[in-house]
Amino acid sequence: MKVEISRRRFLQGSVALSVVGGTALSGTSIMAKSEEKTENLLVKKVPTICEMCVNKCAAVAYVKNGIVTKLEPNPYFPKSRNMLCARGVAGIHALYDPDRLKYPLIRAGERGDGKYRRVTWDEAYTYIQEKLVKILDEEEDNRSCIGYCAGEGLAEHTFKTFMADKFGSSNFLNHSTICLQTAVSGYTLTIGGYGLADMENAKYVIMAGANRAEAILTPDTMDMFKRTRGRGMKLVVVDPRYTNTAMHADTYLPIRPGTDLAFVLALTYVAISTKIYNRTYVAKNFVDFDKYEKHILEGGYTPEWAEKITGIKAEEIRKVAHDFMAHAPQSVYYQGRRTTWSSNDFQLRRAMALFTALGGGIDVKGGIVFGKKLPLGDHAVNAPMYANAQPRIDKNVAAVVGATGSWVGWRNMVAEGKTPYPIRGMFVYKQNPMLSVPNSTKTRQMFEKMDLVVVIDTMPSDTAMLADVILPECTYLEREDPVQSFAGVEPAIILREKAIEPMYETKPVNDIMRELAQKLTKPLWEITKKHDEDVQEAIEEDDEQTVFEDGGFDLAEPFMHSQEETNHHMFVSKYGEEAWKILREKGVFYPNMLSYFKKIDNNTYEYYPKDKRFYSVLKLEEEYDSEAFLHDLCVNPGDIAELKRSFNTPNKKVECYLASMVARKVDPMPAWRDEDYVKVPEGKFKFVTGRHAQFTQSSTVNNIMLLELMHENYLWINDKEAEKLGIEFGDTIEVTSRVGQVRIKAYPTPKIVPQTVFYIHGFGSKSEGMTFAHRNGASDNEIIEDTIEPVHGCANMHDTLVTLRRV
Amino acid sequence: MNYAMALDYQNCINCKACEVACKEENGVQLGADKQRIWVGVVEGTIFGKPFANLYPSQCNHCIDAPCVSVCPTNASHFAEGGIVKVDPHKCILCKGCMEACPYDARFVDDTMVAVDKCTFCDHRSLEAGGTTACQATCPTKVRLFGDLDDENSDLVKLLKTKRFFFQKEYTNTLPKLFYILPDDEAYAKQSVSHDTIIHTWDDIKPLYEEAKNRRSKEWKK
Repeated sequence: MKVEISRRRFLQGSVALSVVGGTALSGTSIMAKSEEKTENLLVKKVPTICEMCVNKCAAVAYVKNGIVTKLEPNPYFPKSRNMLCARGVAGIHALYDPDRLKYPLIRAGERGDGKYRRVTWDEAYTYIQEKLVKILDEEEDNRSCIGYCAGEGLAEHTFKTFMADKFGSSNFLNHSTICLQTAVSGYTLTIGGYGLADMENAKYVIMAGANRAEAILTPDTMDMFKRTRGRGMKLVVVDPRYTNTAMHADTYLPIRPGTDLAFVLALTYVAISTKIYNRTYVAKNFVDFDKYEKHILEGGYTPEWAEKITGIKAEEIRKVAHDFMAHAPQSVYYQGRRTTWSSNDFQLRRAMALFTALGGGIDVKGGIVFGKKLPLGDHAVNAPMYANAQPRIDKNVAAVVGATGSWVGWRNMVAEGKTPYPIRGMFVYKQNPMLSVPNSTKTRQMFEKMDLVVVIDTMPSDTAMLADVILPECTYLEREDPVQSFAGVEPAIILREKAIEPMYETKPVNDIMRELAQKLTKPLWEITKKHDEDVQEAIEEDDEQTVFEDGGFDLAEPFMHSQEETNHHMFVSKYGEEAWKILREKGVFYPNMLSYFKKIDNNTYEYYPKDKRFYSVLKLEEEYDSEAFLHDLCVNPGDIAELKRSFNTPNKKVECYLASMVARKVDPMPAWRDEDYVKVPEGKFKFVTGRHAQFTQSSTVNNIMLLELMHENYLWINDKEAEKLGIEFGDTIEVTSRVGQVRIKAYPTPKIVPQTVFYIHGFGSKSEGMTFAHRNGASDNEIIEDTIEPVHGCANMHDTLVTLRRV
Repeated sequence: MNYAMALDYQNCINCKACEVACKEENGVQLGADKQRIWVGVVEGTIFGKPFANLYPSQCNHCIDAPCVSVCPTNASHFAEGGIVKVDPHKCILCKGCMEACPYDARFVDDTMVAVDKCTFCDHRSLEAGGTTACQATCPTKVRLFGDLDDENSDLVKLLKTKRFFFQKEYTNTLPKLFYILPDDEAYAKQSVSHDTIIHTWDDIKPLYEEAKNRRSKEWKK
């Protein structure tokens, strides 16, 4: 047994030791300082980054005799503010989950019946290789006939490097179009970036649909709830549900789902018609404001008009608009994350961005800020060109389909057999489309049509149960991942180090990609030589080995270095070896960290001095020296807001009118269209979905520690409506939509508006491999219809009508 | 030493990080009907509008702890700094302490065959700069653990600047979870009842010091 001591203790001047066998205790106790507990000396503290959700909170893993015994918050990371939520602390049970995927598996029965046989890694790679060779030969080296998707994570890029850059498929899907693509795009096209809401300084926040108490986002959650309830931040929550966030609101406005755009347009109408917006800011920083002003005023978007649609009283709308502008520029219409509720979502996000901008709260302390990002070095990849690789299949399903596609649009084309060329297989990394993409029936149909489905994951998810080959990844506590830089007012670079060696036969994705690539390189090169005329020509001109090497056809090349070596290269090229030592010891680095970082008390840390934070970063009018002016603590944020600045948009201004959208048949300015709104007929309910703070989508549903907190999801229904229907707490309800049917227990409550039902996303796993999650509650995506919005092809999550029946 | 905790309960979002951190730190039995630590939820409607208040809670480590008084075997005892603990080897599971506790802060841990409860994480919180697992992990930093005897502790410094109340003060057990009342009068009224007694450090300090002097001879060093 080798006992390691922490680097920190080593630097404190103690002695490195390697103790054999049972002599460890006596050896260490002699060298320990007298007050140090003996057992603590055997504990190794490894900085890691949590992967229980997407926030990347810095944590410290306590490792004793090779076992992770506790996860604690790592105070050094400004973004995670010295905290670890319920899921973060429960990460140990992701590591020691008895249901984990432990060995490579190959399907032994029919798809979906869960019968697999244990194989060696080489057998699994060989199986994939043989199938791919056959498929690519038949498809004449059209690499895009294999789709791939990935869940969000530090190692997502490693997988993508292989599939996109090396293997050469264009058909990539990720969470964007079932998540926040419309919001990111709406804000970026309007103000030049999605930005971050400065919740530490904002004085007035409208939070519509977003639920920061239950859908924790760092640092917003930690910053805002210390300032609500009369402590500096006025909070307006607009939501069909009275959430834990609404509990903290000064004003809670229950709204009919799908009508947020009408609410924002009415706020805008009030601001413009009464001229209470920041006129200096708008004159200097907006383009086409005259068009927007005319559009809003002539559109008749009055508070009275909005009251009929949203259910929010006109005088409330007037008051919110006035209060918002009175607190501007430190007023934010909060951007939100998991979005795309209905087909007008892109326009909704644009209208929200414009409304915040009308107050001047962009790129200013207390508003939406862009922050600074610390650079990292490059890791170049030599990507081969495949002449026969086709463009992605779903590029016409919406006005602007990006590199991450349209999950629902893409899936439907495959499931319905409407693709321009066959999609023969799919690689799935860390995503569970069976539970995360609307209309699970079609997702299953899609997988059933494929000749090769490979799933790389840590858990036997419902999606894994449809795979031909399952490759077990190790958990985040068992691997080092690519070093990452986080932009913000207080930017930092973080590193996930390996706490323990991978258990069972699991591997990090970097190793899986390397080994698979090594297996595939030669056979796939033969296919390319056979079908690719460009390569054939090149070989005639040059020799084969040169074309192979210079063309980047060695697929394993980006993965040959260990992750630690790659991280070292990317980091040291910018910050040097001394900084590298700090990063590895603390798990976090930013310039001057050791002098800036201060512990104020057990609850409070300072990361950057106040005058060193990056609140305003855009280039200002030339008469101001940005560096000196923005960091002058005496300058009022209002004065900073009024300066003319250069936004990262085509016109370098806040864009009211998107001319480029006209040709794509998208409204150039946010407009309400009655025909886009799904009305709720008598006897039906609109279904909405959402998050809570104890589970992350479907990825943590088998975690025994979290199941202690909540075992299944419940159907929220307005208590008065429930009474009329004779529904009581705990009754089993059959929920039916056009695409599916589930059974779930009822929770009648005054906390939801009428004609609306809700249950939490992520539950309802059917995989029998998930012992603890198996059939707990219901999956929302079994009943959510697969319609998409017209701009980016994002899934409309809140446009499904359902009927209820008590069973 | 007289250990206590202040709770800025207005920060709580009921995320239950504290509950999980407590279980992981202390190996609390899973599946038990109660825990060492919890978030009390009071919710309902006023004129048809929903409202909710959250009261994160745990053992109050009362100075006049009735659970200690009723214990027939001295399993329940005062440890260093007045922390109320249970010695599982002495516990005979008579459950008298569970009956006596006004806060329902005790439960049976089947894995230890003994009554279990919050220990203020005294294995880690008493070290220099140390704190409890629940405080360390909390996203919105509801809790502040400290020593009432130390005028320079962050705890006492906070209590000197705030008004606070106790839960179930009428049971006269001198509890040591200090609930920090919001400065904002409207919000203060929303989360306390009309008969809640509001305290300041100046009025509570002599009372708690007297009680400590009276009982601390029972405290283990």
